[in-house]
Amino acid sequence: MDLSRRDLMKAQAAAAAAAAANVALPAEAQNITLGEELRLKWDKAPCRFCGTGCGVMVGVKDGRVVATHGDMRAEVNRGLNCVKGYFLSKIMYGADRLTRPLMRMRDGRFDKQGELQPVSWDQAFDTMAAHWKKVLKEKGPEAVGMFGSGQWTLWEGYAASKLMRAGFRSNNLDPNARHCMASAAVTFIRTFGMDEPMGCYDDFEHADAFVLWGSNMAEMHPILWTRVTDRRLSAEHVRIHTLSTFEHRTTDLSDAAVIFRPGSDLAILNYIANHIIQAGAVNRDFVGKHVNFRLANTDIGYGLRPEHVLEQRAQHAGDAQVSQAADFDAYARLVSEYTLDRAHELSGVPKSQLEALAKLYADPKTKVMSLWTMGFNQHVRGVWANHMIYNIHLLTGKISEPGNSPFSLTGQPSACGTAREVGTFSHRLPADMQVANPEHRKLAEQLWKIPEGLLPGKVGFHAVQQDRMLKDGKLNAYWIMCNNNLQTAPNTNNETYPGYRNLENLIVCSDPYPTVTAMAADIVLPTAMWVEKEGGYGNAERRTHFWHQLVDAPGEARSDLWQLMEFSKRFTTDEVWPAEILEKAPEYRGKSLFDALFRNGQVDRFPLSDMAPGYENRESKEYGFYVQKGLFEEYASFGRGHGHDLAPFDTYHEVRGLRWPVVDGKETRWRYREGLDPYVEKGTGIQFYGNPDKRANIMGAPYEPPAEAPDAEYDLWLVTGRVLEHWHSGSMTLRVPELYKAFPGAILFMHPEDAQKRGLRRGQEVRIASRRGEIRSRVETRGRNKVPRGVVFVPFFDASQLINKVTLDATDPISKQTDYKKCAVKVVAAMNQAGAPAPSEPDARGGPR
Amino acid sequence: MRPRLLFTAMAVACLGAGALLAQDAPRLRGPDPFTREQAAPPMQRPITNDIRVKRNYPDQPPVIPHAIEGYALDLNANKCMSCHARRFTEQSQAPMISVTHYQDREGNTLGGLAPRRYACLACHVPQTEARPLVDNRFVDMDVLTEPERHSGGRSNR
Amino acid sequence: MPDAFHVSSLVVHCRRERAAAIAAVLRDMDGMEVHGGVPEGKLVVTLETATEGDIVERLNQVQLLDGVLAATLVFHQFEPSHPRDSSTGSSSYGSLTP
Repeated sequence: MDLSRRDLMKAQAAAAAAAAANVALPAEAQNITLGEELRLKWDKAPCRFCGTGCGVMVGVKDGRVVATHGDMRAEVNRGLNCVKGYFLSKIMYGADRLTRPLMRMRDGRFDKQGELQPVSWDQAFDTMAAHWKKVLKEKGPEAVGMFGSGQWTLWEGYAASKLMRAGFRSNNLDPNARHCMASAAVTFIRTFGMDEPMGCYDDFEHADAFVLWGSNMAEMHPILWTRVTDRRLSAEHVRIHTLSTFEHRTTDLSDAAVIFRPGSDLAILNYIANHIIQAGAVNRDFVGKHVNFRLANTDIGYGLRPEHVLEQRAQHAGDAQVSQAADFDAYARLVSEYTLDRAHELSGVPKSQLEALAKLYADPKTKVMSLWTMGFNQHVRGVWANHMIYNIHLLTGKISEPGNSPFSLTGQPSACGTAREVGTFSHRLPADMQVANPEHRKLAEQLWKIPEGLLPGKVGFHAVQQDRMLKDGKLNAYWIMCNNNLQTAPNTNNETYPGYRNLENLIVCSDPYPTVTAMAADIVLPTAMWVEKEGGYGNAERRTHFWHQLVDAPGEARSDLWQLMEFSKRFTTDEVWPAEILEKAPEYRGKSLFDALFRNGQVDRFPLSDMAPGYENRESKEYGFYVQKGLFEEYASFGRGHGHDLAPFDTYHEVRGLRWPVVDGKETRWRYREGLDPYVEKGTGIQFYGNPDKRANIMGAPYEPPAEAPDAEYDLWLVTGRVLEHWHSGSMTLRVPELYKAFPGAILFMHPEDAQKRGLRRGQEVRIASRRGEIRSRVETRGRNKVPRGVVFVPFFDASQLINKVTLDATDPISKQTDYKKCAVKVVAAMNQAGAPAPSEPDARGGPR
Repeated sequence: MRPRLLFTAMAVACLGAGALLAQDAPRLRGPDPFTREQAAPPMQRPITNDIRVKRNYPDQPPVIPHAIEGYALDLNANKCMSCHARRFTEQSQAPMISVTHYQDREGNTLGGLAPRRYACLACHVPQTEARPLVDNRFVDMDVLTEPERHSGGRSNR
Repeated sequence: MPDAFHVSSLVVHCRRERAAAIAAVLRDMDGMEVHGGVPEGKLVVTLETATEGDIVERLNQVQLLDGVLAATLVFHQFEPSHPRDSSTGSSSYGSLTP
């Protein structure tokens, strides 16, 4: 090896250490021999993938990301990343990045039946604006909609919310986070009056036991799993109990793998509550001072279309969210039905396992951290499941202190930040406020400096409802941003795709890559991603963190923020606001929405000179003010002083994130407990101050069965989900060769006996069919997931095996979150045209398109 | 029939030579039209040649060039460590786990594998023989820092 | 792979008032170089060794020095030191960080 190679390695080593220590090296040390050209410019950013919110260091050279590694100074991950995070360097460089707007054209003009062709931004926006104006004029604000994302940056979500609610006066704005954690978000509000966890990741190092409910952390939250396993392997007494409908990498490292029948987690949770009561383990003092009891409406349906027989039959499909005040005795009576025997019968879990679990929660000396994700939230009774876990923690008082922590994990990098805190759900405004509340709307109108009475009070269409309304022709102008809904929505053949191709509708999709959704859209807008723009995310532990723009997006690709603001320029208040409102507020007349919403004296308040030197910022340079800072500071005004306090904008560019509320410069790790949370009054001990009486709600609810269960014909449970190597629909990770090659296609995980019974061999091609549709896949009887008899698992990342053609569009009736974990399917050998089973090896794909 | 993407235009607009492997396009963009049934791609054979693969950048965890089927990785056993732990590397000739793996969350150096590094497969993944669906245009930093080395031969090492 | 060349880097946190003295001690250690961080009390150090075991050993030595609060390994990379590898055109990075 030559000397220069040594010096290169040494220079890299020194630079990495200097970055980790945040030490500026003297010039001569930075430039060991080969000099300036060796140096990478290192900056921090949060990972682009899941809700964990790991810090990464991004190395840039000549305008390209050339390296990434775990940020040693990031509290979340302390230098570690998972395999997806380690490959962040490559996610932006798939050769099929979209670099120009595309529009369906025929004979040189827009035509929904035409083919996608490159056009200018002006052509794309003009066509969109003309359609939006026509729809607004003919059908009103309820016929326009937008489907956004928990992957939007904070200010992108905030700008979208302003444009939709204040600009177009429509609440038909929903994020894909609806599919991901709406059940968790809704239940936080119903229980505590405030969204998001009371605890934080520091609980990992304090808990004595971890109970995972429908969460395969080893694959979906690998870095948080390192903190769980670290604790388990470092402290002898620590135990992990994992509840799931099948065994996987998380159960491999658990002390107990509790495998239950789909949907029966409700019975297990009520049994645990019953055990706590029967064993005298209720923390009477805590319950007496801090808890109310309520009983939920039951028989609430499955969120299907109202004409569906299951909805017709349900007594409370129309008022599923309603509950009645009750007392401890009424609640105790309800759960008393859930004896050990009954829980065992319903769930199929051995009694010894159920008892061990109940004792863990009941023991006042064992600090328990409960963790859950999609298995719990994607559940037709997801809100009840969330309630039931809080019930257990509240009965025992195991909450809001280090190690005692019911903790909802999130799947997207800013599910908490953008979807929930900023409020991009169809029913929400910033800082936990609700569109249906006139006081909240009034406050939003004041903070946004828009005329009184402008904001609509009707809750908009949620995700699944948007698809139905597109299909039914009631939603006609639709912008999809930062998600791949045609791959990830439920029952897509019947309920999603028809709406996209409905001739009355214009479908716009903004994405960095040609996804399934983009290919079915009428206009495709090329989007800047991750460090191609300045951004901010909020992770699962209330941590807000920022990054700078570090490289430029390719070609004409521009950020979602720019797209939203630019589009707003094409509308004037006279075109979209009611005449009677403008009459009362004539000063708004004739303004563009850009001026009314973004050049409003607040968003445009910070000059370009406030920007940190040395970073590009395309949006700000174009508009002449520090756009991101203006949007953030206006947004932050909603929550400051109300328990949602955010630090000043510039602080977040310095630190590795802070957990809100940030009061007097200090973050809050545990909420609602005196001494740990500045909002709790002295002498009270605990205050759940999100609710007016400062008490949390225990909500009694029964076990109710899933919307669909296996029968003689469709004889298997289908569970869908994710894998470690691919993130959600795979649009980024499938383009990273190493990740693709690690898990190159979806497969059907099946119990070997179930395969044998059907005459199927490992690797054989099969049809997976439900009452709604079918796909072809291949059988896997080994590997990382070990499903019990009667259950099959299929991941949804693969665009060539669109399992959501098979799933059911049943939702939790309260949260409107889809249940992707429970429907009935059959699996049969795929026959080729001659009627013989298709061969298992050769590639039967079609030829070039 | 659903209108199709005009590929020639798109190729001019955003694709370089050989960027898109056309026959694999439906793997990334779905069937055309969406409702068309697609055959399942074949399962891919794992790479088991034991040949080390160059990393894209220093901090990338190396991929696993051998099969790991049936490896125990649970509370009782970690099969990976039976070759990659320091004391076994002489007989196994496998690379030793990186010394960074001896450090705990607080930065203390331990005598062996840190518990937080126990789940090897969270970072190190095996590979199959699958051919990438689309090129990735990531550029190695060495190409940017030492262009003269990469333009011609690399015989001066 | 005994015949290799390892480069690693450390951040050595130390008491500020002792930083200069510790830096001097480190500079005398074999294969070690101090690149900066004396004013901050966070020394940026690179280390060249022939084996991985040497890195751990040296790290332990550093951690035992008076005034050192913590020594944290940040970066590690290795290459075979003989030229066989270069003829294949592969740079064959060795095991490194996280």
